[in-house]
Amino acid sequence: MKISLNWLKEYIPNIKKNDIFIEELTSLGLEVSSEVKVKKDTVIDIDMTPNRADCLSIIGIARDLSAIYKNKIAYPKAIKFLKLKHSNILAIDKKISSSYSALIIKNIDNSLKTPFFIKNRLDMCGLKTINFVVDVLNYVMLENGQPMHAFDHDKFNGNIKVRFAKNNEKMTALDGQNYTLMKDIPVIADDKKPQAIAGVIGSEESSVTDKTKNIIIESAYFTPNLIRRSSKHFRLQTDASYRFERGVDPLINKYAIGRVLAILTEHTSIEDFSFNHLSAPKVAKHINRSILVKPNLFESSLGIKISDKFILQTLSYLGFNPKKSKKGFSVTIPSHRFDIGIAQDLVEEVARVYGYNNFKPILATNSLNNIKDSTNQFDGYSDLLVARGYNEIISFSFIPKGDQSNHVPKTKIASLVNPISEDKAELRGSMINSILNTCAYNFSRKNNNLRIFESGKTYIKHRDKSIIEENILAGAISGINSESNLKNEQVKLSFFDIKGDLLSILPDVSFEVNADIKYIRKACQAVIKQNNKIIGYCGEPEKSLYSQYSIKNQIFYFELMIDKITPISSLKYKKISIFPKIRRDLTILIDDELIASDIIDAVQRKSFNYMITSKISDIFYNKSNLDIGNKSMTIEFVFQDKSSTLRDDQVNDEMEKIVLLLKNKFKAIVRS
Amino acid sequence: MPKDHTSLISDLEEKLKECSSSHDIANIKSQYLGKSGIITNKFGSLKDAALDERKELGRSLNILKTQIQNLIAAKLIEIQDVKNDNKVDITLPGKNISTGSKHPVSITINGITSILAKYGFTSVSGVEVEDEFHNFEALNIPETHPARDMHDTFYVSDDKLLRTHTSSVQIRSMLSNKAPLKIMTPGKVYRCDSDPTHSPMFHQIEGLYIDKNVNFCHLKGVLISFITEFFGKDMEIRFRPSYFPFTEPSAELDIKFKGKWLEVLGCGMVHPNVLSNVKIDTKKYSGFAFGLGIERLAMLKYDIVDLRMFYENDISFLSQFKGLK
Repeated sequence: MKISLNWLKEYIPNIKKNDIFIEELTSLGLEVSSEVKVKKDTVIDIDMTPNRADCLSIIGIARDLSAIYKNKIAYPKAIKFLKLKHSNILAIDKKISSSYSALIIKNIDNSLKTPFFIKNRLDMCGLKTINFVVDVLNYVMLENGQPMHAFDHDKFNGNIKVRFAKNNEKMTALDGQNYTLMKDIPVIADDKKPQAIAGVIGSEESSVTDKTKNIIIESAYFTPNLIRRSSKHFRLQTDASYRFERGVDPLINKYAIGRVLAILTEHTSIEDFSFNHLSAPKVAKHINRSILVKPNLFESSLGIKISDKFILQTLSYLGFNPKKSKKGFSVTIPSHRFDIGIAQDLVEEVARVYGYNNFKPILATNSLNNIKDSTNQFDGYSDLLVARGYNEIISFSFIPKGDQSNHVPKTKIASLVNPISEDKAELRGSMINSILNTCAYNFSRKNNNLRIFESGKTYIKHRDKSIIEENILAGAISGINSESNLKNEQVKLSFFDIKGDLLSILPDVSFEVNADIKYIRKACQAVIKQNNKIIGYCGEPEKSLYSQYSIKNQIFYFELMIDKITPISSLKYKKISIFPKIRRDLTILIDDELIASDIIDAVQRKSFNYMITSKISDIFYNKSNLDIGNKSMTIEFVFQDKSSTLRDDQVNDEMEKIVLLLKNKFKAIVRS
Repeated sequence: MPKDHTSLISDLEEKLKECSSSHDIANIKSQYLGKSGIITNKFGSLKDAALDERKELGRSLNILKTQIQNLIAAKLIEIQDVKNDNKVDITLPGKNISTGSKHPVSITINGITSILAKYGFTSVSGVEVEDEFHNFEALNIPETHPARDMHDTFYVSDDKLLRTHTSSVQIRSMLSNKAPLKIMTPGKVYRCDSDPTHSPMFHQIEGLYIDKNVNFCHLKGVLISFITEFFGKDMEIRFRPSYFPFTEPSAELDIKFKGKWLEVLGCGMVHPNVLSNVKIDTKKYSGFAFGLGIERLAMLKYDIVDLRMFYENDISFLSQFKGLK
C-alpha cells in the first residue's frame, strides 16, 4: 500500500518534522519495501501482511506508530448524526451486512473541482481522480480504511436492497464488463435490478458523474468471506474488495460517512441530506471480546521479562483495553482487530512494539535423537556417481501433456487439475522424459559429452486414485569418455560404460536380459537385480524417444528404484590365501547366440577346485577366419589354494574338466 | 688419499661440468682410463715404486680408478637422461578427467542440513502429493483464510494437491512422533506461479523444535548462528514481525546484502492451534519453526541472478559447482 509520509505524520501529535519512521514501521511489521521522494514529501510502499486489515489506512498505520512514540493519535473531524433514521428505505440481509449506513444528499454540485490536497494525495497513493464526490470517498477510504460507494439517486429505482443475486441476473459494471450473477453473490439492488456487486464494484448505470445532482453514499460492513468469494469468482480485486475481504472495522461506517460529509461541507454547501442506518444487535463476533493472558505467558513465550507497565501501555495505544488482575491480563479486543483471537496474538502485539531485535539470541544445540533420518537414502550413490564424472540435474516433476503417453498407461498418469501451462501438465510417471529432455537441451547447446543423473520422484496414479510416489535415481551418458583426452585416447561411451558405472556404485548387483521396459530398446536392455530382486533397468532408449526429443546422439540410460536397494550392511572378512595365484586363459569358439553369462554362470555353478575367479577377457566376432555364426571368446581363470602352493598339474586337471564342460554343454571348440 | 689423487678428482669434476654430450665424456674417459690415460699410466708406473709401498699404492690407485669410473658413468647417465625420449611433458592434458558435480540446490541443502544437524535437528522427508488437512487445515489455514492466496496451489484431484510447503511433513512428524521433537524437512514444493523470480517447483527446508520451555530467544539463537555459519561471515541481520497462520508471534529474517535488506526466511513460535491439531499439549510444550527457500539462498551465495538456471540443467552451468559437496 502506497502512502504519503507527510499525510501520515498529521495524525501523530508532536512528531518532529524531520522524523522519518521507515525503520520503526518495518520493526512493527509494516515492512517498507520502497520509498520515493516526491517534492517535499516521501511516498512509501508498505507490504501489508494479510492479517493487518486494520492497517490498510493512514489512521491504522498511525495507530501502530503511536505505540512506539507513546502519543495518542488525533482522529480527524467528522459530522455526527444525532438523529438516526432507521428508515424504511433499507432492506438488508444481515448475513451480508450487519451494519449499513446510507447518506442521501440532494442538489449537490458535483462538477466542482476536487480540492488540490485531495487530488495530490490520491495521486501519491496511486488512486485516479474521478469526480468531486468519488474523490472525497476515496480520500476518506485511504484515511480511515472504510470503502464507500456512491450511486446516482436519480438512476437508482426506489429503495436500497442488500440481498443475494438471483441466478442469471446481469449487470454491466463500472469497468465496462458484463457480469452474470448467481445466487451466492451478494449485491446492492434497487427495486428492479442489481446496482453493485456488494463490496466489489458498482454498476455503470447508477454511477456518479460530474453531472449527478442527487447522490446515495453507501458506507457498510460486509461479511469478509462473501466478498472474498465474489472477488475470487469474478477474478476482480478492487480497492474496496481488497479491504472488505480482509475485514473493515464494523463500527466505523457511520463515522466514515460523517467524515465524508465534513469534507464535502468544507467545499460546498449541502442543505438537503438524510442519514439512514441499520445494524444487527451483534455486528461482529470479535468486538468487545475479552482475552485472558496468563501472567507468565509473555515471559515464557518471549524469553525475557517485559514490565507490566510496558504491556499495559502498548496494548492501550494499539486500541485494546487491558486490565491487570491476579489471573493475568484481561484484554478487550477493539472492533478494528479481526486478527486477534488468542492470548498468543497479544504476545506478538507486545513483542513487535518492544522490537524483535531487542531479544537476545540463545543457541540450544541439544539433540533429541528420537527420530530416524529419512532423507539421505540417495546421498551415498550421488557421491559415487559424481566421483565417476556425473553431473547432478534437477528437473521439474511435471512434463508436457502427452509426452509419456507411449510408455505410461493413460489411467496411471497423474495430471494437474490446474496446470500452469500445457508443457507442465502431467506429473512424470518415469524419469526417462526428464533425463532425455535434459540431454536434448544440452545437445542443442553443443554440450555433446554428457554424464548426468537425477534423484527424484515419479508419480503413478493407483486404481483407488491415490498417487504412489517412488524415489528413483536415474541417469544417462552420451558422447566420449573424456573431452580432455588426446584424440587417440578418446573413446565413444557405450552400454558397458554405464554398466561399469553402476557396478562401481553397486558391486553386488547383476545384469540380466529380458527387462521388458517399453522405453528401452529391446536389443539393448538389461534388468538390474540385487539378491534376485529387481532394483532397476538400463539400456538404450527406444527409437521413438530419440525422434520425440529430436536427439541424434546415442544415449545410454539407467534407473534405480532406490527404496528397493539393500545397502551392504553385514560383511564378514574372509581369510586371504598367502599362496601364489595361477592364471590361465582359454579361447573357445562358440555359437554367436550364446551370451557371456551363459558361459560364466555354467563354469561358476560347477565350482571347480581352486578356481577363485573366471571372467571374459576378450571377444571377437566376424573375423574372416571364423565360421559364420560363431564367435571367439577368451576366458581368464585364476586358481589359488588356501593351504599350499598349487602345482601346474593340479591346475591342468581342472582346466581339462572346464574344457570338457564347455565342449559338452556349448559345443565349444578350443582354439590354441 | 694421496694429495695428487684429490686434486685429480676435483680436476675431473671440473672437466665433467663442461661436458654436454656423450662424445665429450668419451674423450675424458680415454684421457683418464684409455690405453695411455692418466690412470693407466699410473698403474704402469707402479713397478717403479719401492716394493713395500707398492701394495698400498696399488690399493689407493684402485680406489681412485673406481671413483673416476663412477663419476664418468654418473655424468653419462645425466646427459643421456636429458637427451632421452623418456622425459615426460607433464603439461600435456590429464587423462579421463571427470567433471562430475552436485546440483547447487543439493549442495545448498547439504550445507544447511549439516549446520542444523550440529544444532540437533534430524532430517525427515515426506510425500509431495498431499491432502488439504496436512497442507492447510492442520496448519491453521482454513479454506476461507486470505492466507491461502499466498499459496497458489496445484491440484491433482479434488482432494489431492502438490504440497505448497514442507510444513506438511512437520504435521505428519508431530502426529506420529509427538513432543519433544527437533526436525528439519528439506524437499520440493510447488506453487502455481511462474515468472523470473518464481518457479512452479522449488525447494524448501523447514525446521521445527518442540520442547518444554522453548521461547523466541531460542528461535533467534538458532537462526542467527545458522545464517552466520552458512554465509561464513558475520552478516547484518534483522528480525521483523510478519504473518503466518501457523506461527504466533511470526517473524521474517532479513539480511543486509550489497547494501539492501533481503528477506531470507520466515519463522515464529508455533501457533497453539497447530499444536492442538496434532494433539500436543500446549500447557506443557511450546516450540518454534522456520522455513526458507533453497534456491534463494543458493542465488545469494553463488551470485546466480536467474532462477531458471537451476532447472535448465545446462552442463556448462552445473560443471561450475564441481568440488562442492
